[in-house]
Amino acid sequence: MDDQPSQDVPPKLGEEIYGPGRTYFDNVVIDNLLDALLELSAAVWTYHDRVNVLEKVLEERGIRVSEAIEAHLPDAAELEARAAERALLVERVFGSFVRRPVGGRAMPGGE
Amino acid sequence: MDRGKIGVLPRPCRLADESYLEFVTSFRYFAIREMFPKVAEHGEAALAKALETGEVAKPDEGEAVKLGDIKRVFSKIPAAPTWQRFVRSQQEMMWRRTRESFYRDIESLMARMDAAAAKNPERLHIDSDFVLPEYTRKEIHCQPGGYTDDPMGGVVFHYGTKVFYEGANDQDELHIELADKATRPADEKVERILDIGCSIGQATTVLKDLYPQAEVWGLDVGAPMIRYAHMRGVERGKDVHFVQRLAEENGFPDAHFDMVHSYILFHEVTVKAMQAILAETFRVLRPGGTFTIYEFPNNDKNQVPAAYRFLIDYDSRDNCEPYSPAFVACDFRGLLEAAGFVVETGPAVSNPFLQSLVATKSSA
Repeated sequence: MDDQPSQDVPPKLGEEIYGPGRTYFDNVVIDNLLDALLELSAAVWTYHDRVNVLEKVLEERGIRVSEAIEAHLPDAAELEARAAERALLVERVFGSFVRRPVGGRAMPGGE
Repeated sequence: MDRGKIGVLPRPCRLADESYLEFVTSFRYFAIREMFPKVAEHGEAALAKALETGEVAKPDEGEAVKLGDIKRVFSKIPAAPTWQRFVRSQQEMMWRRTRESFYRDIESLMARMDAAAAKNPERLHIDSDFVLPEYTRKEIHCQPGGYTDDPMGGVVFHYGTKVFYEGANDQDELHIELADKATRPADEKVERILDIGCSIGQATTVLKDLYPQAEVWGLDVGAPMIRYAHMRGVERGKDVHFVQRLAEENGFPDAHFDMVHSYILFHEVTVKAMQAILAETFRVLRPGGTFTIYEFPNNDKNQVPAAYRFLIDYDSRDNCEPYSPAFVACDFRGLLEAAGFVVETGPAVSNPFLQSLVATKSSA
Protein backbone atom coordinates (compact mmCIF):
# COMPACT_ATOMS: atom_id res chain seq x y z
CA MET A 1 0.00 0.00 0.00
CA ASP A 2 1.37 3.41 -0.93
CA ASP A 3 1.29 5.84 1.95
CA GLN A 4 -2.34 5.33 2.92
CA PRO A 5 -3.71 8.23 4.99
CA SER A 6 -6.20 7.57 7.73
CA GLN A 7 -9.76 8.45 6.76
CA ASP A 8 -11.71 10.50 9.22
CA VAL A 9 -15.47 10.21 9.21
CA PRO A 10 -16.94 13.42 7.83
CA PRO A 11 -19.41 14.85 10.33
CA LYS A 12 -22.10 15.44 7.73
CA LEU A 13 -22.56 14.20 4.21
CA GLY A 14 -25.51 13.98 1.94
CA GLU A 15 -26.99 17.30 0.94
CA GLU A 16 -28.95 15.37 -1.69
CA ILE A 17 -30.85 13.22 0.77
CA TYR A 18 -30.70 15.15 4.02
CA GLY A 19 -31.38 18.59 2.51
CA PRO A 20 -34.76 20.04 1.55
CA GLY A 21 -34.81 17.81 -1.52
CA ARG A 22 -37.05 18.04 -4.52
CA THR A 23 -40.72 18.86 -4.96
CA TYR A 24 -42.92 17.62 -7.78
CA PHE A 25 -46.27 19.19 -6.96
CA ASP A 26 -47.35 22.83 -6.84
CA ASN A 27 -48.54 22.14 -3.33
CA VAL A 28 -45.55 20.84 -1.39
CA VAL A 29 -47.87 19.20 1.12
CA ILE A 30 -48.67 16.56 -1.48
CA ASP A 31 -44.96 15.76 -1.73
CA ASN A 32 -44.80 15.50 2.03
CA LEU A 33 -47.87 13.31 2.27
CA LEU A 34 -46.52 10.87 -0.28
CA ASP A 35 -43.19 10.77 1.55
CA ALA A 36 -45.07 10.09 4.75
CA LEU A 37 -47.08 7.35 3.11
CA LEU A 38 -43.92 5.58 2.04
CA GLU A 39 -42.26 5.88 5.44
CA LEU A 40 -45.39 4.70 7.15
CA SER A 41 -45.66 1.70 4.86
CA ALA A 42 -42.02 0.85 5.48
CA ALA A 43 -42.61 1.08 9.22
CA VAL A 44 -45.67 -1.14 9.07
CA TRP A 45 -43.75 -3.75 7.15
CA THR A 46 -40.75 -3.54 9.48
CA TYR A 47 -42.88 -4.17 12.54
CA HIS A 48 -44.85 -6.88 10.83
CA ASP A 49 -41.57 -8.59 9.96
CA ARG A 50 -40.31 -8.34 13.53
CA VAL A 51 -43.45 -9.77 15.02
CA ASN A 52 -43.31 -12.64 12.56
CA VAL A 53 -39.71 -13.38 13.50
CA LEU A 54 -40.45 -13.02 17.20
CA GLU A 55 -43.32 -15.47 17.12
CA LYS A 56 -41.25 -17.99 15.16
CA VAL A 57 -38.31 -17.71 17.59
CA LEU A 58 -40.61 -18.21 20.56
CA GLU A 59 -42.42 -21.07 18.95
CA GLU A 60 -39.07 -22.77 18.28
CA ARG A 61 -38.59 -22.64 22.05
CA GLY A 62 -42.03 -24.03 22.78
CA ILE A 63 -43.50 -20.72 23.94
CA ARG A 64 -46.96 -19.78 22.70
CA VAL A 65 -47.27 -16.05 23.41
CA SER A 66 -50.52 -14.77 21.95
CA GLU A 67 -52.48 -14.86 25.19
CA ALA A 68 -49.61 -13.54 27.29
CA ILE A 69 -49.23 -10.55 24.96
CA GLU A 70 -52.84 -9.57 25.48
CA ALA A 71 -52.43 -9.85 29.26
CA HIS A 72 -49.17 -7.89 29.48
CA LEU A 73 -49.12 -4.51 31.31
CA PRO A 74 -46.01 -2.29 30.86
CA ASP A 75 -44.06 -0.75 33.76
CA ALA A 76 -42.74 2.83 33.81
CA ALA A 77 -39.39 2.01 32.20
CA GLU A 78 -41.07 0.14 29.39
CA LEU A 79 -43.48 2.98 28.83
CA GLU A 80 -40.55 5.40 28.56
CA ALA A 81 -38.72 3.19 26.09
CA ARG A 82 -41.85 2.77 24.01
CA ALA A 83 -42.35 6.53 23.94
CA ALA A 84 -38.82 7.04 22.63
CA GLU A 85 -39.33 4.48 19.89
CA ARG A 86 -42.65 6.01 19.01
CA ALA A 87 -41.02 9.44 18.72
CA LEU A 88 -38.50 7.96 16.29
CA LEU A 89 -41.35 6.54 14.23
CA VAL A 90 -43.04 9.92 14.15
CA GLU A 91 -39.77 11.52 13.04
CA ARG A 92 -39.39 9.02 10.22
CA VAL A 93 -42.97 9.25 9.04
CA PHE A 94 -43.33 13.01 9.28
CA GLY A 95 -39.70 14.09 8.83
CA SER A 96 -40.33 15.40 5.34
CA PHE A 97 -42.68 18.03 6.70
CA VAL A 98 -39.78 19.69 8.48
CA ARG A 99 -37.03 18.89 5.99
CA ARG A 100 -38.79 20.52 3.07
CA PRO A 101 -39.76 24.17 3.48
CA VAL A 102 -43.49 24.77 3.47
CA GLY A 103 -43.46 28.56 3.83
CA GLY A 104 -43.96 31.15 1.14
CA ARG A 105 -47.29 29.92 -0.11
CA ALA A 106 -50.76 31.05 0.92
CA MET A 107 -52.83 28.03 1.85
CA PRO A 108 -56.16 27.65 0.08
CA GLY A 109 -58.88 29.17 2.25
CA GLY A 110 -56.33 31.04 4.40
CA GLU A 111 -56.46 34.70 5.38
CA MET B 1 -23.50 -7.23 15.72
CA ASP B 2 -22.43 -9.35 12.74
CA ARG B 3 -25.65 -10.81 11.31
CA GLY B 4 -23.89 -12.76 8.58
CA LYS B 5 -24.44 -12.35 4.86
CA ILE B 6 -27.06 -12.17 2.16
CA GLY B 7 -25.37 -13.79 -0.81
CA VAL B 8 -21.98 -12.08 -0.94
CA LEU B 9 -23.24 -8.94 0.79
CA PRO B 10 -22.99 -8.08 4.46
CA ARG B 11 -26.40 -8.30 6.11
CA PRO B 12 -27.70 -5.03 7.60
CA CYS B 13 -26.75 -4.62 11.23
CA ARG B 14 -30.28 -4.98 12.55
CA LEU B 15 -33.36 -6.89 11.51
CA ALA B 16 -35.32 -3.63 11.46
CA ASP B 17 -32.85 -2.16 8.93
CA GLU B 18 -33.10 -5.26 6.77
CA SER B 19 -36.92 -5.28 6.87
CA TYR B 20 -37.09 -1.56 6.05
CA LEU B 21 -34.73 -1.96 3.09
CA GLU B 22 -36.63 -5.00 1.86
CA PHE B 23 -39.74 -2.86 1.83
CA VAL B 24 -37.88 -0.19 -0.18
CA THR B 25 -36.76 -2.89 -2.62
CA SER B 26 -40.31 -4.14 -3.11
CA PHE B 27 -41.60 -0.61 -3.52
CA ARG B 28 -38.87 0.21 -6.02
CA TYR B 29 -39.86 -2.85 -8.05
CA PHE B 30 -43.46 -1.63 -8.04
CA ALA B 31 -42.52 1.94 -9.00
CA ILE B 32 -40.21 0.95 -11.86
CA ARG B 33 -42.01 -2.09 -13.23
CA GLU B 34 -45.65 -1.15 -12.66
CA MET B 35 -45.90 2.62 -12.26
CA PHE B 36 -43.49 3.81 -14.93
CA PRO B 37 -45.20 1.92 -17.78
CA LYS B 38 -48.37 3.83 -16.84
CA VAL B 39 -46.47 7.12 -16.93
CA ALA B 40 -45.08 6.17 -20.33
CA GLU B 41 -48.45 5.04 -21.69
CA HIS B 42 -50.38 8.12 -20.58
CA GLY B 43 -47.54 10.51 -21.34
CA GLU B 44 -47.04 9.22 -24.89
CA ALA B 45 -50.83 9.39 -25.46
CA ALA B 46 -50.96 12.97 -24.18
CA LEU B 47 -48.01 13.90 -26.36
CA ALA B 48 -49.63 12.37 -29.45
CA LYS B 49 -52.78 14.37 -28.73
CA ALA B 50 -50.80 17.58 -28.20
CA LEU B 51 -49.06 17.05 -31.54
CA GLU B 52 -52.43 16.42 -33.19
CA THR B 53 -54.05 19.56 -31.76
CA GLY B 54 -51.02 21.73 -32.43
CA GLU B 55 -50.38 22.38 -28.74
CA VAL B 56 -46.93 21.01 -29.47
CA ALA B 57 -45.37 21.87 -32.82
CA LYS B 58 -44.61 18.89 -35.01
CA PRO B 59 -40.85 18.49 -35.41
CA ASP B 60 -39.22 18.74 -38.81
CA GLU B 61 -38.49 15.56 -40.72
CA GLY B 62 -35.69 13.65 -38.99
CA GLU B 63 -35.93 15.82 -35.88
CA ALA B 64 -37.29 14.78 -32.47
CA VAL B 65 -39.87 16.48 -30.27
CA LYS B 66 -38.12 18.96 -27.99
CA LEU B 67 -37.42 17.66 -24.48
CA GLY B 68 -39.05 20.76 -23.00
CA ASP B 69 -42.29 19.91 -24.79
CA ILE B 70 -42.15 16.30 -23.59
CA LYS B 71 -41.65 17.43 -19.99
CA ARG B 72 -44.45 20.02 -20.20
CA VAL B 73 -46.95 17.50 -21.54
CA PHE B 74 -45.91 14.66 -19.22
CA SER B 75 -46.04 16.91 -16.15
CA LYS B 76 -49.77 17.46 -16.70
CA ILE B 77 -50.70 13.82 -16.21
CA PRO B 78 -51.09 13.01 -12.50
CA ALA B 79 -49.11 9.80 -12.77
CA ALA B 80 -45.88 11.62 -13.66
CA PRO B 81 -45.25 13.80 -10.57
CA THR B 82 -46.55 11.00 -8.34
CA TRP B 83 -44.08 8.58 -9.88
CA GLN B 84 -41.27 11.15 -9.65
CA ARG B 85 -42.06 11.79 -5.98
CA PHE B 86 -42.15 8.09 -5.14
CA VAL B 87 -38.93 7.22 -6.96
CA ARG B 88 -37.05 10.10 -5.38
CA SER B 89 -38.42 9.23 -1.94
CA GLN B 90 -37.50 5.55 -2.14
CA GLN B 91 -33.98 6.51 -3.24
CA GLU B 92 -33.59 8.84 -0.26
CA MET B 93 -35.00 6.19 2.08
CA MET B 94 -32.60 3.59 0.71
CA TRP B 95 -29.46 5.67 1.24
CA ARG B 96 -30.50 7.02 4.62
CA ARG B 97 -31.24 3.60 6.10
CA THR B 98 -28.36 1.77 4.42
CA ARG B 99 -25.91 4.31 5.76
CA GLU B 100 -27.55 4.37 9.18
CA SER B 101 -27.40 0.60 9.38
CA PHE B 102 -23.77 0.05 8.42
CA TYR B 103 -22.57 3.02 10.46
CA ARG B 104 -23.79 1.10 13.51
CA ASP B 105 -20.86 -1.24 12.82
CA ILE B 106 -18.35 1.31 11.55
CA GLU B 107 -15.49 0.32 13.84
CA SER B 108 -15.64 -3.30 12.75
CA LEU B 109 -15.89 -2.48 9.05
CA MET B 110 -13.07 0.05 9.13
CA ALA B 111 -10.95 -2.47 11.06
CA ARG B 112 -11.61 -5.11 8.39
CA MET B 113 -10.45 -2.74 5.65
CA ASP B 114 -7.36 -1.84 7.69
CA ALA B 115 -6.62 -5.52 8.32
CA ALA B 116 -6.87 -6.28 4.60
CA ALA B 117 -4.59 -3.33 3.83
CA ALA B 118 -2.07 -4.66 6.36
CA LYS B 119 -2.27 -8.23 5.05
CA ASN B 120 -1.82 -7.47 1.35
CA PRO B 121 -0.51 -3.91 1.03
CA GLU B 122 1.09 -4.74 -2.33
CA ARG B 123 -2.36 -4.97 -3.92
CA LEU B 124 -3.73 -1.65 -2.63
CA HIS B 125 -2.49 1.48 -4.37
CA ILE B 126 -3.62 4.76 -2.85
CA ASP B 127 -1.46 7.84 -3.17
CA SER B 128 -1.94 10.39 -0.39
CA ASP B 129 -1.08 13.17 -2.86
CA PHE B 130 -3.87 12.20 -5.25
CA VAL B 131 -6.12 15.16 -5.98
CA LEU B 132 -9.76 14.51 -6.85
CA PRO B 133 -11.03 16.57 -9.79
CA GLU B 134 -14.11 18.45 -8.67
CA TYR B 135 -16.27 16.81 -11.34
CA THR B 136 -15.83 13.44 -9.63
CA ARG B 137 -17.08 14.67 -6.24
CA LYS B 138 -20.80 14.51 -6.98
CA GLU B 139 -23.31 12.61 -4.90
CA ILE B 140 -24.03 10.30 -7.83
CA HIS B 141 -27.36 8.50 -7.43
CA CYS B 142 -27.81 10.72 -4.33
CA GLN B 143 -25.35 8.57 -2.34
CA PRO B 144 -24.06 10.70 0.54
CA GLY B 145 -20.44 11.57 -0.21
CA GLY B 146 -20.68 9.96 -3.63
CA TYR B 147 -17.87 7.60 -4.57
CA THR B 148 -15.19 9.76 -3.05
CA ASP B 149 -15.98 11.35 0.31
CA ASP B 150 -17.55 8.83 2.67
CA PRO B 151 -15.04 6.34 4.12
CA MET B 152 -17.91 3.87 4.50
CA GLY B 153 -18.97 4.54 0.91
CA GLY B 154 -17.95 1.08 -0.30
CA VAL B 155 -20.27 -0.94 1.90
CA VAL B 156 -23.03 1.68 1.56
CA PHE B 157 -22.70 1.46 -2.24
CA HIS B 158 -22.71 -2.35 -2.08
CA TYR B 159 -25.96 -2.61 -0.17
CA GLY B 160 -27.52 0.36 -1.95
CA THR B 161 -26.98 -1.36 -5.28
CA LYS B 162 -28.55 -4.52 -3.87
CA VAL B 163 -31.74 -2.49 -3.53
CA PHE B 164 -31.21 -0.99 -6.99
CA TYR B 165 -30.83 -4.44 -8.55
CA GLU B 166 -33.86 -5.60 -6.56
CA GLY B 167 -31.92 -8.51 -5.09
CA ALA B 168 -30.95 -9.94 -8.48
CA ASN B 169 -27.22 -9.34 -7.96
CA ASP B 170 -26.79 -10.79 -4.47
CA GLN B 171 -24.21 -13.27 -5.76
CA ASP B 172 -22.65 -10.75 -8.21
CA GLU B 173 -24.62 -12.56 -10.91
CA LEU B 174 -24.76 -9.51 -13.16
CA HIS B 175 -21.04 -8.84 -12.91
CA ILE B 176 -20.30 -12.52 -13.52
CA GLU B 177 -22.34 -12.38 -16.72
CA LEU B 178 -20.70 -9.16 -17.92
CA ALA B 179 -17.16 -10.36 -17.19
CA ASP B 180 -17.92 -13.72 -18.77
CA LYS B 181 -19.12 -12.00 -21.95
CA ALA B 182 -16.12 -9.65 -22.14
CA THR B 183 -14.55 -10.10 -25.54
CA ARG B 184 -11.05 -11.50 -25.48
CA PRO B 185 -8.37 -10.65 -28.08
CA ALA B 186 -8.42 -12.68 -31.28
CA ASP B 187 -5.01 -14.17 -30.46
CA GLU B 188 -6.35 -15.29 -27.01
CA LYS B 189 -3.28 -13.84 -25.27
CA VAL B 190 -4.45 -12.37 -21.95
CA GLU B 191 -1.66 -11.47 -19.56
CA ARG B 192 -3.01 -8.23 -18.09
CA ILE B 193 -6.55 -6.90 -17.61
CA LEU B 194 -7.72 -3.47 -16.46
CA ASP B 195 -11.21 -2.74 -15.11
CA ILE B 196 -11.79 1.04 -15.26
CA GLY B 197 -14.38 2.62 -12.99
CA CYS B 198 -14.39 -0.65 -11.07
CA SER B 199 -16.18 0.74 -7.95
CA ILE B 200 -16.13 -2.12 -5.39
CA GLY B 201 -14.45 -4.55 -7.79
CA GLN B 202 -17.31 -6.95 -8.42
CA ALA B 203 -16.41 -7.54 -12.08
CA THR B 204 -12.69 -7.20 -11.36
CA THR B 205 -12.55 -10.26 -9.13
CA VAL B 206 -14.66 -12.26 -11.58
CA LEU B 207 -12.19 -11.38 -14.34
CA LYS B 208 -9.46 -12.86 -12.15
CA ASP B 209 -11.51 -16.03 -11.73
CA LEU B 210 -11.96 -16.24 -15.50
CA TYR B 211 -8.31 -15.44 -16.32
CA PRO B 212 -6.39 -16.79 -13.30
CA GLN B 213 -3.05 -16.50 -15.04
CA ALA B 214 -3.54 -12.79 -15.78
CA GLU B 215 -2.54 -9.79 -13.69
CA VAL B 216 -5.83 -8.01 -13.00
CA TRP B 217 -6.23 -4.38 -11.96
CA GLY B 218 -9.30 -2.51 -10.82
CA LEU B 219 -9.12 1.29 -11.09
CA ASP B 220 -11.49 3.82 -9.58
CA VAL B 221 -11.40 7.45 -8.52
CA GLY B 222 -12.95 6.77 -5.12
CA ALA B 223 -10.66 5.67 -2.28
CA PRO B 224 -13.61 4.34 -0.23
CA MET B 225 -14.56 2.12 -3.17
CA ILE B 226 -11.01 0.93 -3.68
CA ARG B 227 -10.46 0.14 0.00
CA TYR B 228 -13.69 -1.86 0.19
CA ALA B 229 -12.90 -3.62 -3.12
CA HIS B 230 -9.46 -4.53 -1.81
CA MET B 231 -10.95 -5.85 1.45
CA ARG B 232 -13.40 -8.01 -0.49
CA GLY B 233 -10.59 -9.29 -2.69
CA VAL B 234 -8.32 -10.17 0.24
CA GLU B 235 -11.08 -11.79 2.30
CA ARG B 236 -12.11 -13.91 -0.67
CA GLY B 237 -8.54 -14.87 -1.59
CA LYS B 238 -8.46 -13.00 -4.91
CA ASP B 239 -5.05 -11.82 -6.09
CA VAL B 240 -6.29 -8.58 -7.66
CA HIS B 241 -4.77 -5.09 -7.57
CA PHE B 242 -6.90 -2.06 -6.79
CA VAL B 243 -5.72 1.45 -7.51
CA GLN B 244 -7.17 4.90 -6.89
CA ARG B 245 -6.47 6.84 -10.04
CA LEU B 246 -8.23 8.68 -12.82
CA ALA B 247 -9.21 6.58 -15.82
CA GLU B 248 -8.08 9.53 -17.94
CA GLU B 249 -4.60 9.40 -16.39
CA ASN B 250 -4.09 5.81 -15.34
CA GLY B 251 -0.29 5.82 -15.08
CA PHE B 252 0.26 2.48 -16.82
CA PRO B 253 2.83 2.02 -19.64
CA ASP B 254 1.85 2.12 -23.30
CA ALA B 255 0.35 -1.10 -24.75
CA HIS B 256 0.31 -2.68 -21.27
CA PHE B 257 -3.07 -4.42 -21.22
CA ASP B 258 -4.61 -7.14 -23.36
CA MET B 259 -8.17 -6.42 -22.19
CA VAL B 260 -9.90 -3.40 -20.68
CA HIS B 261 -13.38 -3.60 -19.15
CA SER B 262 -15.86 -0.88 -18.20
CA TYR B 263 -19.39 -1.07 -16.83
CA ILE B 264 -21.61 2.04 -16.77
CA LEU B 265 -18.67 4.40 -16.33
CA PHE B 266 -18.98 6.85 -19.21
CA HIS B 267 -22.36 8.37 -18.36
CA GLU B 268 -20.87 9.35 -15.01
CA VAL B 269 -18.09 11.54 -16.38
CA THR B 270 -18.04 14.73 -18.42
CA VAL B 271 -17.75 14.45 -22.20
CA LYS B 272 -14.33 16.07 -21.94
CA ALA B 273 -13.22 13.45 -19.39
CA MET B 274 -14.76 10.72 -21.53
CA GLN B 275 -12.68 11.71 -24.53
CA ALA B 276 -9.56 11.76 -22.36
CA ILE B 277 -10.44 8.30 -20.95
CA LEU B 278 -10.90 6.89 -24.44
CA ALA B 279 -7.50 8.27 -25.53
CA GLU B 280 -5.84 6.95 -22.37
CA THR B 281 -7.43 3.52 -22.73
CA PHE B 282 -6.32 3.36 -26.36
CA ARG B 283 -2.79 4.21 -25.22
CA VAL B 284 -2.55 1.43 -22.61
CA LEU B 285 -4.22 -1.24 -24.75
CA ARG B 286 -1.80 -3.31 -26.81
CA PRO B 287 -2.37 -3.75 -30.55
CA GLY B 288 -5.03 -6.43 -30.95
CA GLY B 289 -6.30 -5.78 -27.44
CA THR B 290 -10.01 -5.44 -26.69
CA PHE B 291 -11.99 -2.87 -24.74
CA THR B 292 -15.38 -4.21 -23.56
CA ILE B 293 -17.96 -1.55 -22.73
CA TYR B 294 -21.40 -1.90 -21.13
CA GLU B 295 -23.13 1.44 -20.94
CA PHE B 296 -26.27 3.57 -21.08
CA PRO B 297 -27.74 3.76 -24.59
CA ASN B 298 -27.25 6.85 -26.75
CA ASN B 299 -29.89 8.98 -28.40
CA ASP B 300 -27.76 10.87 -30.89
CA LYS B 301 -30.04 9.76 -33.75
CA ASN B 302 -33.36 10.18 -31.90
CA GLN B 303 -33.64 6.43 -31.58
CA VAL B 304 -35.48 6.34 -28.24
CA PRO B 305 -39.13 7.17 -27.43
CA ALA B 306 -40.34 10.28 -25.61
CA ALA B 307 -41.09 8.44 -22.36
CA TYR B 308 -37.53 7.19 -22.19
CA ARG B 309 -36.19 10.73 -22.73
CA PHE B 310 -38.45 11.88 -19.91
CA LEU B 311 -37.01 9.11 -17.73
CA ILE B 312 -33.37 9.95 -18.50
CA ASP B 313 -33.97 13.64 -17.87
CA TYR B 314 -35.61 12.85 -14.55
CA ASP B 315 -32.82 10.45 -13.60
CA SER B 316 -30.23 13.08 -14.42
CA ARG B 317 -31.87 15.85 -12.43
CA ASP B 318 -33.32 13.96 -9.52
CA ASN B 319 -31.06 10.98 -9.12
CA CYS B 320 -27.93 13.09 -9.40
CA GLU B 321 -26.66 11.90 -12.74
CA PRO B 322 -25.29 15.27 -13.86
CA TYR B 323 -23.38 13.95 -16.86
CA SER B 324 -25.77 11.36 -18.28
CA PRO B 325 -27.78 13.69 -20.60
CA ALA B 326 -24.61 14.77 -22.42
CA PHE B 327 -23.54 11.15 -22.69
CA VAL B 328 -26.91 10.01 -23.99
CA ALA B 329 -26.89 12.81 -26.57
CA CYS B 330 -23.38 12.11 -27.81
CA ASP B 331 -22.21 9.91 -30.67
CA PHE B 332 -20.31 7.51 -28.41
CA ARG B 333 -19.37 5.11 -31.17
CA GLY B 334 -18.07 8.03 -33.20
CA LEU B 335 -15.94 9.19 -30.28
CA LEU B 336 -14.54 5.67 -29.82
CA GLU B 337 -13.64 5.56 -33.51
CA ALA B 338 -12.11 9.03 -33.30
CA ALA B 339 -9.91 7.72 -30.47
CA GLY B 340 -8.61 5.04 -32.87
CA PHE B 341 -10.74 2.01 -31.98
CA VAL B 342 -12.51 -0.33 -34.35
CA VAL B 343 -15.98 -0.58 -32.85
CA GLU B 344 -18.45 -3.45 -33.03
CA THR B 345 -21.64 -4.30 -31.18
CA GLY B 346 -20.80 -6.64 -28.32
CA PRO B 347 -22.67 -9.71 -27.11
CA ALA B 348 -26.23 -9.17 -25.88
CA VAL B 349 -26.62 -9.16 -22.09
CA SER B 350 -29.62 -9.99 -19.94
CA ASN B 351 -30.17 -6.33 -18.98
CA PRO B 352 -31.79 -5.02 -22.18
CA PHE B 353 -31.23 -1.41 -21.10
CA LEU B 354 -27.47 -1.66 -21.61
CA GLN B 355 -25.64 -1.18 -24.87
CA SER B 356 -22.78 -3.60 -25.34
CA LEU B 357 -19.77 -2.57 -27.40
CA VAL B 358 -16.38 -4.03 -28.20
CA ALA B 359 -13.66 -1.56 -29.20
CA THR B 360 -10.52 -3.12 -30.60
CA LYS B 361 -7.13 -1.55 -31.08
CA SER B 362 -6.11 -2.68 -34.52
CA SER B 363 -2.99 -4.82 -34.63
CA ALA B 364 -2.15 -3.53 -38.11
